[in-house]
Amino acid sequence: MGGKTDVWQGTLALMVLKTLQLMGPQHGYGLARRIEQTSGDLLELNYGTLYPALLKLEQEGYIRSRWGASENNRKAKFYELTKAGERQVRKAAAEWEQTTEILSRFLAPNAEA
Amino acid sequence: MDALRARVRSLWMRAFGARQRLDEFDAELQNHVALHTEDGVRAGLSPEEARRQALIRLGGAEQTRQAYRDRRTLPWIEELLQDIRFALRMMARNRGFTMVAVLTLAIGIGATATAFTWIDAVLLQPLGGVKEPNRLVTVETVTSNGEWVPNSYPDFIDFRDRLKLFDGVAATHVSAFSVGKEDHAERVWGELVSGNYFAVLGVKAEAGRMFLPTEYGDVPGAYPVTVISDRYWRSHYGADPAVIGRTIRINQHELTIVGVAAPQFHGSIPVISFDIWVPYMEQSVLNGVQLWMLRDRHDRNMLGIARLRPGVSFEQARLELKTLADRMAIANANVSEGMSATLMPLWKSPHGPQGLLIGPLRILMGVCVLVLLIVCANVTNLLLARATVREKEFSARMALGAGRGRIARQVLTESLMLTGCGAALGLAATPWMSRALRTLMPPSPMASLVSTDTRPNLAVLAFTVGLCVVAALAASVVPALQVGRLNLSAKLNAGGRGGSAGRARNRLRSMLVASEVALALVALVGAGLFTRGFQQTLRIDPGFDPNHILLNQFYLSTNGYNLAQRREFCRRLGERMLAAPGVTDVAYSDGVPLGFEPSWWEELKIEGYAPRPNENMNIFRNVISPGYLPLMHIPMVDGRNFTEQDNENAPAVMIVNEAFVQRFFAGHSPIGKKIHGWGSWFRVVGVAKDSKYHYLGESTPAYFYVPFRQVFREDMNLAFYVRSQGDPDSALSTLRTQARAIDPNVTVFDAAPLKEFIGASLYPQKVAASLMTVLGSIALLLAAVGLYSVMAYSVAQRTQEIGVRMALGANPVHVSWMVVRQGLGLATGGLVVGTALAIGMARAIESVSFTNSGMGTSARLLGSGANHPLIYVGAAAFLSVVAVLASYLPARRAASVDPMQALRAE
Repeated sequence: MGGKTDVWQGTLALMVLKTLQLMGPQHGYGLARRIEQTSGDLLELNYGTLYPALLKLEQEGYIRSRWGASENNRKAKFYELTKAGERQVRKAAAEWEQTTEILSRFLAPNAEA
Repeated sequence: MDALRARVRSLWMRAFGARQRLDEFDAELQNHVALHTEDGVRAGLSPEEARRQALIRLGGAEQTRQAYRDRRTLPWIEELLQDIRFALRMMARNRGFTMVAVLTLAIGIGATATAFTWIDAVLLQPLGGVKEPNRLVTVETVTSNGEWVPNSYPDFIDFRDRLKLFDGVAATHVSAFSVGKEDHAERVWGELVSGNYFAVLGVKAEAGRMFLPTEYGDVPGAYPVTVISDRYWRSHYGADPAVIGRTIRINQHELTIVGVAAPQFHGSIPVISFDIWVPYMEQSVLNGVQLWMLRDRHDRNMLGIARLRPGVSFEQARLELKTLADRMAIANANVSEGMSATLMPLWKSPHGPQGLLIGPLRILMGVCVLVLLIVCANVTNLLLARATVREKEFSARMALGAGRGRIARQVLTESLMLTGCGAALGLAATPWMSRALRTLMPPSPMASLVSTDTRPNLAVLAFTVGLCVVAALAASVVPALQVGRLNLSAKLNAGGRGGSAGRARNRLRSMLVASEVALALVALVGAGLFTRGFQQTLRIDPGFDPNHILLNQFYLSTNGYNLAQRREFCRRLGERMLAAPGVTDVAYSDGVPLGFEPSWWEELKIEGYAPRPNENMNIFRNVISPGYLPLMHIPMVDGRNFTEQDNENAPAVMIVNEAFVQRFFAGHSPIGKKIHGWGSWFRVVGVAKDSKYHYLGESTPAYFYVPFRQVFREDMNLAFYVRSQGDPDSALSTLRTQARAIDPNVTVFDAAPLKEFIGASLYPQKVAASLMTVLGSIALLLAAVGLYSVMAYSVAQRTQEIGVRMALGANPVHVSWMVVRQGLGLATGGLVVGTALAIGMARAIESVSFTNSGMGTSARLLGSGANHPLIYVGAAAFLSVVAVLASYLPARRAASVDPMQALRAE
């Protein structure tokens, strides 16, 4: 497995979980749009990779899905966070913060020379 | 922790969870595209353009679906299931191929698994139901010239009390018991054991208890208790737990049943199942053995088993034992001078059937591996032929995008399925084949006790699975490699005629067939050598006449007889039998010549003979009635036979054989010389002609006879012989009635013609010869099938070429000769290699010998015929004939090719 997709998949999962935590239940398209908006449109998601990632999270027990009606009154599949998902968000967020903090120390122009 | 649980849950969901339905996913995707399109329209795009954009951002609907599918389940399981389904379909479609392949594999794997079951029972796990068997060892007394013998009870006591590096030393003595009330007593085999026996072996009780430390002592007759086997408990008491504490009548004495041994425990001799264990100190009560005999260091009849202390190495323990035994030899110099003791692994113990079995088993395993190799070569060959037929299928699948790895895996799966079926079939046949092997055991009182645990055991299962995988790999590696080399465009373009790749493959298949022929030759030569060795041995004159003799062993001590009563019984039964019609001679003795049981010996001092230092003066002997030598038709060459006057009150006398005279009297007449044994002096009164005593193949040892009435003791056996004019079986009913007339409690348990009984000494050779013949025939058959399939395939491929030849005027005889010649060419290559291999094999098995007696005497399995050129030539000629036949059928087809038909097929 290439390291790149791993990181990407990892971050995508965290983005999905965090978005669900903040926004409540979402369907796939809404979730994708929300993630793009949150990133200030800096991210361009490949929507095709979103669905397998959602399936993976569901299999891992972090989210669950059910069918409901979307804003245009279509039947749509809504995803929501589970208890385990809540825990995972907290844990992953903390880890991620630590990682970025460490990295930023390296990248800061005048770190302890 | 959470992360791990999540991963496990995900794996579980993918493998076994409810499947997300693909149509639901389609709906979800459609919804996604619709929402996206609406957003696009809202942003001012045309509906078509908006939809196009939405699909592009999705990255392709089909790709997304595939990614989703892969995530949904575990793809490799999915593929595996596909492969298995496909393989099953292929197997069902090609029934002939499947049947041949599965059956050959079943034979190969079944035979090897059977051999392994026995090796497991004899060598690897000789004792069932014991704790940590790897720390158990056999204790053997070593005579001054390095032979192994059992231990005496006083020696055992010294070992038990003085050795520090052991977690206990135990001793055991195999014995027949008569169990039950007088008139319907039953013979049951068991062991007389030291009190600590179960503790040392670490045997658990199924019910009740094992012997207690208070029962470990050395007081004769003080421990009237017994432990019975689980088997006996179930068959005789219906597994009733209330039996504990009840009494059981053994040899007319009441003993208390204190426990039932764990079901896996069968006693201390490999492959033999005993039912009763009694403290050895009960000997004096049960068998009337006199107290001085229990204290006699000469009486070496106890098998020793010891448990090493944890962390003590075999070598350290052996040294400690040796040091002690050497000290004991000096302290008891009058009986043990020059003796020592040693340890050996359980399976190496020369007592019990393993001595007989190990040689044949080693050969059996070798032959099974040989057959398995041939089977693999054959299945490879079949698979290669199949692969040729399926080349187009494979090419088509590759053209449709299947990877080479995927197809190679398919081939592997298919051959795994084949070997799996073969292994299952073979394993199912294992208990049956195991039993077949048991029927080859010689008829002897203990033969009925021989049993291996036929329940599937883990070691055997693991071995079979391993075998199965190895066979599958061996058979499919070549075809799988061939797939890797498939040239796609060439295959799809070629009109169906084999190109150069086909020729390379033919060469490969030819090599395989040649190697099959070589292996078959090895098997055939082996069969020939063993059969010839067996027949040669059969032709050896035993030096006595075993025909028309009925043999029965009485266990009178189990009827509560004392020594005088036993002698009296023999005398009266002899008189009555002689009076019966058709009976010409009657005799009785202690040992049976050429029997299954070990022979006994006595340490002698010979007047006028100075033994060399370390010379073994333990000489084999038999204790006989006056009628024995005449009954056996063993002539006297000097002096006189024993008479009824050589009784308890007369001076002790002895008869020696010719080899004895050669060894100790340099060929001069020994008549009148004095010889010391059993604590008194005997006078030599006669010389008997040499005969065979232990094996037909033996070189005659020095041997002597002493009169029954002067030497017969409580611990000796009693074999009763009746020579009649007709069939020995006809004397059986007479023997039964007469024995019962003297004492209704005495039962004739296992009478058999002597001729059959002495087959025991031939057992290893018989087994080797019959196994090699059976497996050799299988090997021959397999090689013939292989040769035939290659030749038939080659002819089918060359149909057009043959058609052209015929059209140009080739003679049909010529054409068929051409094909046969090709087949013979293959066979010849195999024969040359096979001859070299067979010579090597003969060298290897020449050194394999077997033994059934404690004192290191053994005979070679092969006899003298290891380098018999006629057998090699015969086997090669036979194989050539088979090769001609196997290629003649395809040749006839080739010769009947219609040229027009063949050319038109182009």
